[in-house]
Amino acid sequence: MILHPAILALVAGSAVTGFMIIVASWFGLQIIRKWDLSSGSEQQLGLEKKTYLISTVMAYAFGFQIISLFLFIHTADSLCSMFTGAMCAAGTLAVNSYGYPVFILKIANFLFAGLWLTLNFTDNRAEDYPLIRKKYFLLLLIMPFVLAETVLQAVYFFSLHADVITSCCGSLFSSEGKGTVQTFLSLPVGPVRALFFALAACVTASGIYLYGTGKGAYLFSALSLLSFFVSALALMLFISLYIYEIPTHHCPFCILKREYHYIGYLMYAALLCGAVAGIGTGMLQPFRTIGSLACVVPSIQKRLALAAVILYLIFTLFSAYKMVFTTFVLE
Amino acid sequence: MITLDNVRKVFNQGRPNEQVAVRDASLAVEDGKVTVLKGPSGSGKTTLLSVIGCMARPTAGRIWLGDREITSLPERFLTGIRRQTFGFIFQQFNLIRGISAIENVMLPAYPNGEKYGLLRERAGGLLELFNLSAKSAAKVQFLSGGEAQRVAIARALINNPPVIVADEPTAHLDTKLSQEFMEIMDRLHREGRTIIIASHDPVVYASPLVDRTVEMRDGEIIS
Amino acid sequence: MAWTDKQRNVIDFTLSSLLRRKGKNAALVLVYTAVGFVLASVMLFTHALKREAGIVLRDAPEIVLQRMVAGRHDLMPSSYAGVVEKITGVSSVKPRLWGYYYDQLFRANYTLLVPDEFRYGEGDIIIGAGVARAGVTSEDNIMPFFGSDGKLVSFRVKEILPAESELVSSDMVMMGEADFRAFFNLPKDRVTDLAVSVANPLEVLTIATKIRQQLPDTRPVIREEIVRTYDAIFDWRSGIMLVILSGALLAFVIFAWDKASGLSAEEKREIGILKATGWETSDVLLMKFWEGMVISFTSFTAGLILAYVHVFFGSASLFEPVMKGWAVLYPEFRIVPFIDFYQIATLFFLTVVPYTTATVIPSWRAATVDPDAVMRT
Repeated sequence: MILHPAILALVAGSAVTGFMIIVASWFGLQIIRKWDLSSGSEQQLGLEKKTYLISTVMAYAFGFQIISLFLFIHTADSLCSMFTGAMCAAGTLAVNSYGYPVFILKIANFLFAGLWLTLNFTDNRAEDYPLIRKKYFLLLLIMPFVLAETVLQAVYFFSLHADVITSCCGSLFSSEGKGTVQTFLSLPVGPVRALFFALAACVTASGIYLYGTGKGAYLFSALSLLSFFVSALALMLFISLYIYEIPTHHCPFCILKREYHYIGYLMYAALLCGAVAGIGTGMLQPFRTIGSLACVVPSIQKRLALAAVILYLIFTLFSAYKMVFTTFVLE
Repeated sequence: MITLDNVRKVFNQGRPNEQVAVRDASLAVEDGKVTVLKGPSGSGKTTLLSVIGCMARPTAGRIWLGDREITSLPERFLTGIRRQTFGFIFQQFNLIRGISAIENVMLPAYPNGEKYGLLRERAGGLLELFNLSAKSAAKVQFLSGGEAQRVAIARALINNPPVIVADEPTAHLDTKLSQEFMEIMDRLHREGRTIIIASHDPVVYASPLVDRTVEMRDGEIIS
Repeated sequence: MAWTDKQRNVIDFTLSSLLRRKGKNAALVLVYTAVGFVLASVMLFTHALKREAGIVLRDAPEIVLQRMVAGRHDLMPSSYAGVVEKITGVSSVKPRLWGYYYDQLFRANYTLLVPDEFRYGEGDIIIGAGVARAGVTSEDNIMPFFGSDGKLVSFRVKEILPAESELVSSDMVMMGEADFRAFFNLPKDRVTDLAVSVANPLEVLTIATKIRQQLPDTRPVIREEIVRTYDAIFDWRSGIMLVILSGALLAFVIFAWDKASGLSAEEKREIGILKATGWETSDVLLMKFWEGMVISFTSFTAGLILAYVHVFFGSASLFEPVMKGWAVLYPEFRIVPFIDFYQIATLFFLTVVPYTTATVIPSWRAATVDPDAVMRT
């Protein structure tokens, strides 16, 4: 293990988050088993108090999660000098087989936490808490992922040993070689670029439609999810090239660096939050039929749709700006 | 109208020290009337008052506020209703020491998300109504008993509630201040507010102002 | 907007509550600041050292070639330079002359070396600021040295190196080649090692391997390895410091938990009043959130600023001996100040996150007091 302050911070922070999730899940389990709103018993009043604790804990966990995602990438980046051949975070993450799973889990957990908070926010708007069991059930489903992240991240850091020869981002994210990432990167740029912009247009159109009419939430949600993946792919496949102005550099991490004016933070934050808002609309759709939520859900969906469209547009327009106003020519 | 149907409130349920504070109380409090809950201490009038005032949820039974049933509303929603419907005056005024009179008055309105300036203006107006303008910036621990009482009443009125709930308001007051308190209640009553007071002080329950006296003993309504 | 007005009102009340309980909160802020200060100092200082080392090594050759005899670093025949030069990809080879000298008078180690171009003549030297301090000398003074034959040799100090990046140059004494060879009685055809420059960084490893094949009695030291070693050593040191300090951090968390859960009767009464007069649990939690934010922000910023001053203007005087120490002459250097969000984010995770977590449950307990509690007592 490398004793680096940020590693200690990340491991400690994630242990804390893991602990908070366990506490929240434990109370969640009690609520699933014993919740009875019609009762005025002390037990029920106690459970109602616990919902506040769980909401608070989850909100904090969500906040920690997004900071920890960026801190994790940044730490991997700053450690790269210790590994032969690693030139940035991409190389450090590839040092052992835990790096990328941890990274993906961090993103997934951010999305999960965001969706859970959306569900919680909706449920708290209805006087009879109609989603109470569903949301705590969802919490129980999320818990293993958060714990997996805590454990894998610790394992990843503990099994880091300086001097391991690793592939740098130059070879990992270059179009040669084999592997999943390479398969994606060997995709033709033209069609993916067309798809990226077409999807952006569809997301915007269906988002505005949803905002205006309150219809088409499932479609919008599906498009948002698809757009999330396509945008991530587009970022690696060609947007990064325009930002770095190097024809072989596909690294999704270097845009977080000072050299590129930290622009990655804005782009990732927009994409991640946009995905939470976009997917959230579809998640809430089935609950429109619940009496007490009938007028709550549509207004929340509208706000989410608006937020998602704006956030995705920030990402798309920024990418387009980089592609138009650059001296770099692809192909 | 606030309607209670077979309301029961139990503390420490299922434990050896279980205590039934209110048992099977049914009651209808009419709008615009002055109602007094009378009874010795420990008779359950404070508990009943807190159930009427949406502060505590009954263990069993049902409650309606107008024609809306609020029995099993969670605290998150009950608080909003309570804030808009009831103004509370407590036994020892329960003002927050260390902050000024006007801040104490404004306090119950903070969660409403009102503009600070407007809120302050409204609080200033209330203090003026009770001849407290000069004491507006004074810390509450430096106020006289009568002033503190009037600040507490002003605080109860900040959200302009239709119902005023008072729990033993005269317990620590001399006769003169008790009478002054009843005069203010009279004024509020004439403004059309419903007033509910729990008290065993004759100054209160024997006052000509009172429309109805509900007598309690051992957690039960006896008349 | 109602939402922002609500936040504003709640913050307003939170601040006035905090100020009313200055004593209790002052202790918390003080401890919090101290913890932040120590952690921030360790991190800023190591990071600064790494940066300094990086700056120094940026101009170092890609490969340093040493000759090994019986597993020990030995003098190298000058002829090796010609062999290395012929390897494709090598852009230049420079023989270097350097060595160590122990000054019995001042009990300090100096690094003696011959720079690429020495401006001054025979008998002249350039010295580092540390040497100047230890030898209590200044420009144009004479400095006595004992040569390898035990005889006294005097050199004239022509220049003192600027203090910038003093960490490495501090203990240096530079002289001409002839002086150096005479002083150490070095054979004409021997040098200390070779500095090999390679144009393409991707070829460094290949070239190092080729050198090893052609000159099996040599050891190529690659610059990246040195950087890595420094990084690892500095990170490791600060990591060890943090592990030691984790005890303090834990104590702080327990202290924060205790402060948050040990509410005074007065505070309990206040929250009870708020709940009774129409505040909801989430409003009280909001207040507690802002309370935590204000305390964290104040202490975190104060700790960071103090650490910044300590490290960059006070040369990290408190734990210099632990963190530095690679020569007897402690460089008295001023690190160039910098601000790095990465450091701040790490510090945030080490202080604010544990503090917040420690206070979540106590705050929640305080916030969920029954609204009718004030009436029952």
